[in-house]
Amino acid sequence: MSLDAAAPLLTVRDLHVSFTRGGHTVQAVSGVSFDLFAGETLGLVGESGCGKSTTGRAVARVIAPTSGSVVLGDIDLTTCRPSVLRRERTRLQMIFQDPISSLNPRRRVRDIVAEPLDIWHSAKGQERTRIVTEMLEAVGLDPVLAAPCYPRQFSGGQCQRISIARALVMRPKILICDEMVSALDVSIQAQILNLVEDLKAAYGLTVLFIAHDLAVVKNVSDRVAVMYLGRLCEVAGADELYRSPRHHYTNALLASAVELDPDAPRTHAPLQGEPPSPLNPPSGCRFRTRCPRAEERCATEVPELREVEPGHLVACHFPVEIRDRAA
Amino acid sequence: MSTSAPDTAVAPDTGTERPTTGELLEVTDLRTTIRTSRGPLVAVDGVSLRLNRGETLGIVGESGSGKTVLSRSIMGLLPGRGTMLSGSVRFDGQELVGAPESLLRSIWGPRIAMVFQDPMTSLNPVHRIGRQIAETLRLHLKLSKKVANQSAVTLLAQVGIPSPELRARNYPIELSGGMRQRVMIAIALACGPELLLADEPTTGLDVTIQAQILDLLAEAQRMRHMAMIFVTHDLGIVATRTDQIMVMYAGRAVEFAPTHQLFANVRMPYTEALLHSTPRMANPSHTRLAAIDGRPPDLVSRPLGCSFAARCPYAQDKCREESPTLVADAAEPDHFYACWYPRGSSTPVDPQGAPSVA
Repeated sequence: MSLDAAAPLLTVRDLHVSFTRGGHTVQAVSGVSFDLFAGETLGLVGESGCGKSTTGRAVARVIAPTSGSVVLGDIDLTTCRPSVLRRERTRLQMIFQDPISSLNPRRRVRDIVAEPLDIWHSAKGQERTRIVTEMLEAVGLDPVLAAPCYPRQFSGGQCQRISIARALVMRPKILICDEMVSALDVSIQAQILNLVEDLKAAYGLTVLFIAHDLAVVKNVSDRVAVMYLGRLCEVAGADELYRSPRHHYTNALLASAVELDPDAPRTHAPLQGEPPSPLNPPSGCRFRTRCPRAEERCATEVPELREVEPGHLVACHFPVEIRDRAA
Repeated sequence: MSTSAPDTAVAPDTGTERPTTGELLEVTDLRTTIRTSRGPLVAVDGVSLRLNRGETLGIVGESGSGKTVLSRSIMGLLPGRGTMLSGSVRFDGQELVGAPESLLRSIWGPRIAMVFQDPMTSLNPVHRIGRQIAETLRLHLKLSKKVANQSAVTLLAQVGIPSPELRARNYPIELSGGMRQRVMIAIALACGPELLLADEPTTGLDVTIQAQILDLLAEAQRMRHMAMIFVTHDLGIVATRTDQIMVMYAGRAVEFAPTHQLFANVRMPYTEALLHSTPRMANPSHTRLAAIDGRPPDLVSRPLGCSFAARCPYAQDKCREESPTLVADAAEPDHFYACWYPRGSSTPVDPQGAPSVA
């Protein structure tokens, strides 16, 4: 184990995930590589069907990747023995979008939160109660009131808090949040986003935050990765990426988002049409069919992620010039 | 009028010339009560509003605020059993509350149309989309089957569906979410309505598709002088696309103002809280959000006083005892709010009426 601050906690290299159905192969994720550094929040943003959730699931090994590696510490989760994977997975927990359906309706909150402890026989009796109480308090629920209740007695936001408590009970290193606030109203969403920031500081968590909402992702992330049709387009520091996007897709995505400002210029939709089918993705750069700058080279040569500025990676042959950012 | 787009290709008007300005809709003290096993639930509690032709009203609120029930109450689209509607909805001078179904049927479609949030459950899954559009045209405009089918294709082209002749023969399941929402809009626009009620029309769509649908609605509205009510939970969507905004909380209108005034001078603490708890791309990352603690009240046993008092950082004793009514701002007569201790520049004598940066 390295103590070097620059060594990533989790390394994902050339991750591929494909699904075969009815003789067709869908490449949900094709060649995604990124690093997750200890203590950071990496936002993974993209539209539906771009493979961001599949990436998160493959990293957590909820599904098996077709190829590629996911290295946590010094263990490759894609090749290690099942018993090792089982143990390692306690260090890497996931939170899902629908807070109500991800909780067992027939179990009490205290048993839901304690389930990982029961599985690992890591705490019993008073110790178990103490840990559950502590976790419920940490996520802002009253342990005395909440512990004996069932999930149906809670609102969506409160259920999401219970999910977070369950995810944190094994003291994981990494939290993978997949659209965790998408189903919540803005006032509740703000509570949960603030909670994630607080817990990250309190428990020294590293977070992979997957979401489609650009403003939400920027709010919680240190760095942001943008995904389109199974590939990463751009990775940069959150403020940098939103200030000067270099990939044409990121540029269009940011211009499509609505801002809470009546004086904001009402621009027309920058992208027409819909993303191509992942059953038959375009050759070369996957965005070329909708890209304003596409040239012949984009059809023949897959652009690799390359560093255009320190810490700013772009997969584009003709990145956006900093000056000519389109409206 | 632009001649580039194939406007009025579908003969939206059936003869009589329509006025393009003037008041179209007046809702007065509308109250919708839903019977539940726990007792009557007042989902919409005394809402009044006015809308002129060609204008857009945004109704904003969180889930359970009554915004959808309000839009359906305006249209008269509520289940008869267990719901009670009182107050008045005057559409172009005609009273809709308590009107016979035959009258409502003659208004639904040709004069008021609706676009719902979920296009998959609003479209008939076993009919081709062309037929579903043509059906509306044949019923209301009495077009022949052939003409209606041709018009359906034209409409599909107008809402930006590529190769409309082929798409008209598709079933809803063969289309993406964005395409289905375009079909819903085509059906809504088919008979050239004077009022379009759009209930979360872009929720569930990706941002790039959302931008396309919002453009499409704005264009359709401009070309047809259509009034529009835009129901949404997202203040960002209505910020640039409406003339006025009504903010709803727990079944009541808590603030109602022309869009610019609302954003420049927020009076109701709930609106302020909503603005402050929304993450913005313009802010640097890790900006702490001002979350609103707690959750909306139970509408079956509504608390005394202001519904927002329990979550309001400025609440005082009066707020918990007396319910504030919607009053006009002294400086901005179009700006209404329901609050005993409003935010922002309140002084009626203040001559500048300077928008405060709250």
